[in-house]
Amino acid sequence: MSSQEAYGYAVARIRAMEHRLLDSGVLQRMIDAEDFSSILKILGETSYSSELSSQTTESDFDKTLEADLHNIYEEIYAFVPDKSLVDIMRLQYDFHNVKVLLKSMFNVRAGGKKRWDLLTSLGSYPLDDMITNVESEEYRLLPFGLSTLLPKCITIWEQSKDVLEVERLIDKRMFEVMLEKAKELDMPGIISWVKARTDGENIRTLLRLKRFNFDASKALPFLHEGGDIDINMLVSLITEPFETWGRALEFSDFGKMIGSIDVSCGFSDLILSLEKALEDFYLEKIGAGRYSSSDPANIPAYLWAKEMEIKNIRVIMVSKRNKGDKDKLRGLMRHGYV
Amino acid sequence: METMLSTISEQLGPMLVILGAALAVGFAGSGSAWGIGIANEAAAGIMTEDPKKFGYALVLLALPGTQGIYGLLVAVLALQKAGLLGAGDVSLTVWQGLGICFACLPIAISGFYSAIWQGKSSAASILMISKRPEQIGKAVILPAMCETYAVFGLLVSILMLNGIKL
Repeated sequence: MSSQEAYGYAVARIRAMEHRLLDSGVLQRMIDAEDFSSILKILGETSYSSELSSQTTESDFDKTLEADLHNIYEEIYAFVPDKSLVDIMRLQYDFHNVKVLLKSMFNVRAGGKKRWDLLTSLGSYPLDDMITNVESEEYRLLPFGLSTLLPKCITIWEQSKDVLEVERLIDKRMFEVMLEKAKELDMPGIISWVKARTDGENIRTLLRLKRFNFDASKALPFLHEGGDIDINMLVSLITEPFETWGRALEFSDFGKMIGSIDVSCGFSDLILSLEKALEDFYLEKIGAGRYSSSDPANIPAYLWAKEMEIKNIRVIMVSKRNKGDKDKLRGLMRHGYV
Repeated sequence: METMLSTISEQLGPMLVILGAALAVGFAGSGSAWGIGIANEAAAGIMTEDPKKFGYALVLLALPGTQGIYGLLVAVLALQKAGLLGAGDVSLTVWQGLGICFACLPIAISGFYSAIWQGKSSAASILMISKRPEQIGKAVILPAMCETYAVFGLLVSILMLNGIKL
């Protein structure tokens, strides 16, 4: 871990970079915009203007957002004293790529097609290297313990064709690696945040499994160790109505957050509301260090805020494409950092 | 042996004055350099994104530098008081030398710590003006609060130096 004093420059630069984040006024204008071209015009007045100049069609837009996020990751990676702080945030993309490559492999073996179009360059491990290593079956060159995990996943698929189990193992490994990296950094704020993300993911998974009428014993393997909430206690909630989860988790930071969710809507909307509440909660938690001029947590806080901004733009785009209700769309917007 | 003790007795007074002056300049100056370094990191961070903020940042960067000046001032006053700046003979007792040495300590200690904390305050203020440059007035006042205690140290050092009878 670098000394906290080494973060003076990085935090100041992050603070200055916050000017590039979209404020709520811009998001409101995008929500109220009539069509895709109006949204592009609004984004053209913001920090996205340079990326948008090369964008011509609606289908390019997703790539534009990805390129913008990639640039931000690379820019911050260049000046942050502890590179693992950025790597932790990029792990989700590394493991997404692993899933895509494995599923493509399974598809090809089943007579289908590769879906490399779903791969992303946002991971911390170079995408080309990952493709080469997986394609040439040089798994020993893969990072994050994938050298042993991938052959195991392939064996499971060959024996049972159980893709869900493969995904479960990969997700489990991702949260393990996140926690390992956070512990290597030895920064209490980051460890606490990774644990909160693990707990949050467990709560989200539990609600989704509840929808499919999983019982506690079937749901338990899908929950990840490493959070602050004991998974045996958490899994027992699956038989309880969601309204009572907030009270049951009152001892943790999640109690109040879950208690504030409107449960009168349908299951799909409930999951959306929980996801939004969780993502806002993660920002609130990691953003607690924003008033310090040298707190390393400012780095993941900015990156998470940027991720949420991109998510907000994507949600607006999808809603516009489907002519969604503006009020409902407003409710789906993640909180901004600025 | 007697000659050696006599020489030490004669020279110890001026040596203690020199020690005091060295502490005043050394500690207060180190604190200032440290504080400016902290503020510099923040200034470099915001100027990478927005070079136009240099003017605002410079004001805040300079603030932790004053303790070094106070230390220098006290050191000069101490050396002058002891007659060490001129070419003439210096005759100080051990107790007079010790008194001048102690008189240098308030600015040495308060200068060192206040400069570091002022540097941290300046860094925080630099972050503040990166978002709200119109608040530069308030941003300067916040780290200036740390200055108060360096000024107290300076004042007490000067009063103590004046109070020593030679």
